[in-house]
Amino acid sequence: MWILDSAFRSGGVDLWHKNGSVQKIHNEYDPPFYLHLPDPDLHHGMIEALEEHYRAEPCTFTTIFGDCKGHAVFAGRPVAEAIEQQTQFAAQLFNVDVRRDQRFMAERGIVPCCADPADRFSPIFEHGLNRMEIRIRDDPARDQTCSDIEIICGRTERLHGPERDVLADLFGLVAAYDPDLILMTDADRWMSKLQVRARALDLAMPFSRSGKYRTMDSRSYWSYGRVEHKEAALIPDGRILIDTEQSFVYREGGLAGVLMASRLSGLSPSLASRFTPGTLISSYETYEAVQRGIVVPFRKSDAEVLRKFAALKTADRGGMMFQPEPGIFEDVDEIDFTSMYPSIIVKANLSPETIGHPESQQRGFLPVALEPLLDLRIRTKQLKKTDPAIAGIDAILKWMLVTCFGYTGYKNAKFGRIEVHEGITGRSRDILLLTKDITEAMGFRVLHGIVDCLWVQGSPVAALQERVNRETGLLTELEHFNWIVFLPLNDGMGAYNRYYGRLSDGSVKVRGIAARRHDTPEYIRKMQGDMLAVMGTAATIEELNRLWDQVNAIYRNALQKLPYAPVQEMRISRRISRLTYAHRCIEGAAVNAYHKCGVPIAPGMKIRYVVQDARTYRVEPDWNAERFDTTYYRELLERAWKEIAYAFRAGRVSNTEQQRISVIRVEQQICAKQPEYRDAQKM
Amino acid sequence: MLIELSKGITLHPGSFTAVIAPEKKILAALNSNADLQRFLFLYVCGNYSRILSGISRTSNNFEVRRPFTADQLLTVIHEASHTIVFIEHDPTLFDGAERLFVPIASALKQTGREAMVILWAPASDRSFAALIRQADRIIEILPEGPPPDRFGFSSQRSCRKGGVVPRAQKTLEV
Repeated sequence: MWILDSAFRSGGVDLWHKNGSVQKIHNEYDPPFYLHLPDPDLHHGMIEALEEHYRAEPCTFTTIFGDCKGHAVFAGRPVAEAIEQQTQFAAQLFNVDVRRDQRFMAERGIVPCCADPADRFSPIFEHGLNRMEIRIRDDPARDQTCSDIEIICGRTERLHGPERDVLADLFGLVAAYDPDLILMTDADRWMSKLQVRARALDLAMPFSRSGKYRTMDSRSYWSYGRVEHKEAALIPDGRILIDTEQSFVYREGGLAGVLMASRLSGLSPSLASRFTPGTLISSYETYEAVQRGIVVPFRKSDAEVLRKFAALKTADRGGMMFQPEPGIFEDVDEIDFTSMYPSIIVKANLSPETIGHPESQQRGFLPVALEPLLDLRIRTKQLKKTDPAIAGIDAILKWMLVTCFGYTGYKNAKFGRIEVHEGITGRSRDILLLTKDITEAMGFRVLHGIVDCLWVQGSPVAALQERVNRETGLLTELEHFNWIVFLPLNDGMGAYNRYYGRLSDGSVKVRGIAARRHDTPEYIRKMQGDMLAVMGTAATIEELNRLWDQVNAIYRNALQKLPYAPVQEMRISRRISRLTYAHRCIEGAAVNAYHKCGVPIAPGMKIRYVVQDARTYRVEPDWNAERFDTTYYRELLERAWKEIAYAFRAGRVSNTEQQRISVIRVEQQICAKQPEYRDAQKM
Repeated sequence: MLIELSKGITLHPGSFTAVIAPEKKILAALNSNADLQRFLFLYVCGNYSRILSGISRTSNNFEVRRPFTADQLLTVIHEASHTIVFIEHDPTLFDGAERLFVPIASALKQTGREAMVILWAPASDRSFAALIRQADRIIEILPEGPPPDRFGFSSQRSCRKGGVVPRAQKTLEV
């Protein structure tokens, strides 16, 4: 049974499965939640009332800490919340907020997007979904309806014209083609607008196979220190609808990634595509728990244990870093531990219930649940080297495993606990130090280290890898750099996360520089990309130094052409964290510009703007921008150039002075030849 | 055993006291009282403490427990058996957990019957106001010196010709 959608409706779970055609099976389902009271006698009146008004049966259920006596109550969340209030929050409740369609499938061993549940952890699978791509060319931020749509379903259709005709044709094509999978640009922004317009124009919107839609509210939330925004969503029944612009899972893993996320989490693909990796790993753990007959706590009430100050200071230190010496280095190897944190969880048996005695024979819930996921990741990491189709699945597994560590310390994680989080980072620090000791004992030089990888110089590196794998018990991967540049901080010390270098396969690996950052204007990204492409042809530092003139020419050319560059290439895309700013800044001015245009925005949303005059904080949304501040963008260009120039002997020796002279010289040339340049500068 | 917060303001055992005071003031009160080292002291804070790193760590009786949710805070208060329970208020614990205002306020009051319970915040907010409804005492100590400049910088620096606040500075008020 290949399930492509699931939903809880009318007292049961609807499973939409594809077997030639798509059919719906309705399964009556009325699951209980579980209640444990530390002192049941104190609440006997409440228990009697529960037995009388709902179905409440005494039972024993299993938590990750062991068996627990209590009651199974056949009621919903409002009753659970009333119990909390009545018992002054003394009651412990379980399985209250587990999605009922997910719980139904987990209890019965049903796996979505999978013909055989035994293939749940297989990286290779097929699907017979017929798909349709809908590319809406209108702007979802400003336009309330669609007037220009491209539809790809075998052949490509372009719908353009009056609103009613366009929408009628779009709906007609969806109804006629009846796709199982719809990939739509900004689907979550458009669907509610389309619904409103369809009602106004008296058109039937055919996206749902039952005519019903599930809704998800919009919200802004904190994730890894930054604010994110999730759009409200309208999810059709019986079909997969993926927002190709907003879905992180689709962006990172493609369709294969979405389907794998659905398989692992036990959620419908439409939902899996809309969730963050953190929610996916949390859902995966929930599915695993239910499948193993373990109940899921409703509230997170078990706080960390009492600690002395000194113990807290020792434990709460995070990952280990070694600061690099800035400069360019030849023949460097990067030793990278494969999924280090999840491997530590599995290997060291770290779980909330084993934290006090991880060496016990009884394996904890987290290691048991994560082990198959980790094994799968190790397989996909190997497979993707020969089969690019696996890359999407591997990317999603990587993200889920990365967040599984973070979730152990997350306040709302169902199976998390801060001591587990600290136990993982503590062991990772020991492992990195051990690796450094091994490396240096074998005569290598350690150049840099970040949490789970080391950059080393020396040979034979294969022997080093073999010894590290053996002594740490973890798997590592090697990457060889012909040369690598560690950039400096303003104080001259090496930056931890800003480096680039040429790998032995000829590609250039880049981290933390303009070409990699999301807010870099296209014009500058292109310039740095062109420079890196040229630099990628040099296999040694000597060869690289010979490319100075060629790379410098790219910079000079970019600088010269800057005033005439298309405005759209100056667009800065940034995720906003707030709507009000205490001080004047470019980002605040961009938020105000959006407000002035009447475009609603929320924290966590991405905005795109062009700086017209940085001095007076004049900023326009990208669609309104007609000019740009050349001085401001020249500074950005120079900053990007400095990152590249540092790789060259000529660039390093007198970086600042040399650039100052070259910029002045180029400016003088431009001003002499192009009168418009002076005008552009004044803008 | 008393903690002198400020001259003439002392905190007593067997009470639940809400304190609104600058960080420096509360740190000074905790660090300057050598007597505190003789008692079991529980410091409760969320994920990001404002003053934990500034507290003298010499005492063996000084213990820390960090709740990350309001449910965990309730558990911590219920389980506290220390002579002094000092809670650094963290409003983020109560995002979406307003249902716990009353139970936590009651638990603070209950624990305060036996111990010295201090709920501290540098400034009041909605959740703090809800938690201190059952407090025996509420003490607010204002920062010393002139009231803060609402624009956050000296007027001399901010004013342009003519000495008036430029129109553009309105953005600083939002």
